[in-house]
Amino acid sequence: MSETDHTRWNEDLAAYALGALEPDAAVALERHLDGCEPCRAELRWLEPAVGALPESVERVEPPPPLRARLMAEVEADARAAEGDAAPARGRRFGAWLRGSGSGPLALRPAVGFAALVLVVAAVLGYAIGGGSGEGGGESTIVAGQAPGVTATMVDEGDGGTLRLANVHQLPDGKVLEAWVQRDGEVEAVPALFVPDHEGRASTQLPPMDGVEAVMVTAEPKGGSAQPTGEPLIAIPVPG
Amino acid sequence: MAVEREKAERLADEELMPLIGTKDPEAFAVFYDRHGGVAYSLAYRIVGDRGAAEDVTQEAFISVWRSGARYDRAKGSVRSWMLSIVRNRGIDVLRSRAGKAPKLSFDDDEILEQRPAEELTEEEAMRRETASEVRGALGSLPDEQAKVLQLAYFGGFSQSEISRMLGVPLGTVKGRMRLGLEKIRGELAEGLA
Repeated sequence: MSETDHTRWNEDLAAYALGALEPDAAVALERHLDGCEPCRAELRWLEPAVGALPESVERVEPPPPLRARLMAEVEADARAAEGDAAPARGRRFGAWLRGSGSGPLALRPAVGFAALVLVVAAVLGYAIGGGSGEGGGESTIVAGQAPGVTATMVDEGDGGTLRLANVHQLPDGKVLEAWVQRDGEVEAVPALFVPDHEGRASTQLPPMDGVEAVMVTAEPKGGSAQPTGEPLIAIPVPG
Repeated sequence: MAVEREKAERLADEELMPLIGTKDPEAFAVFYDRHGGVAYSLAYRIVGDRGAAEDVTQEAFISVWRSGARYDRAKGSVRSWMLSIVRNRGIDVLRSRAGKAPKLSFDDDEILEQRPAEELTEEEAMRRETASEVRGALGSLPDEQAKVLQLAYFGGFSQSEISRMLGVPLGTVKGRMRLGLEKIRGELAEGLA
């Protein structure tokens, strides 16, 4: 790495900390961070300043019905969990990954979201964190009804980032929810997301140890505990 | 078995997370009562209307309820993690409203001083002090530095978008972001000294 390269990345640290770096540049910077302790140290120093920004906003009391709605949903979940002695098992999506005869990585066409024919010609850039940042294997997935969606997924060791580009707008009341399959079971990814006006969407992924595949579905606002429809995109993770 | 309210109130956020992961409503209620105010305030600051702010806050807390066990201490405090979820959801809402500009005013100068002092916990008092320091730092920033921070953090704009919006070179935006954050960071460091 040249000094010029280092300086260029270093200049982007503030934007990265603020979440204001373009997705591709953020991925590249994350690779640089893997091998640059001075930049990591500087980022750690800046992060409390970003973390303090939300504390500075004017306090507005949330309406009491919001708490009531939340607690009603939470208590219903808890009752359902208590009533189910067996641990909840996630719906597997291996079958979706295997597709319907178009090859090992093909997906079924997205159905049920006719206005949302998003997916897919996804290129998976899979970078293993902690090393030089050079990517691992790459694979291309082709399926669905609207080619052009690009998915970039980076494994950062203690988590990952999934970035989509060229995503069509969602119908009202829908959000994107990501899922990971680990040991054959599907887990919801906490952060829901939607595409911006340029068709970009991104979400944080949990630690990727043992993850076999990542999938995105369109779900009602607030997300779902289990996928409720066919995946808009499904990406097998190289083992 | 759910933890009792009084016990839950004595637990730190990091200790509540495993309980939330086991679907304990009391632990979640304590968590919401601690952070619901700032979460809703942040959501309102970003999306600009109460209905959308409620949606954002609800989605963020439900997300925590469903993923509390996955909180990673290495990523920072629970509160920061929670607020980052709120911020990301709020920005998603902004982006889904194609073409709608975020609020840019920063008349947030009456913050937090509305509750009686005797209701404050020590932790909340420290947060108010931090908020006061950050407000002071933001208020003392040159307008052009404060504006790029607001556009980036509360508006969700990328540095390239901000460059185009303000009609200034990208390098200038990068410099203003850096200087603004360094100023706030310096104020925080002084506050801890």
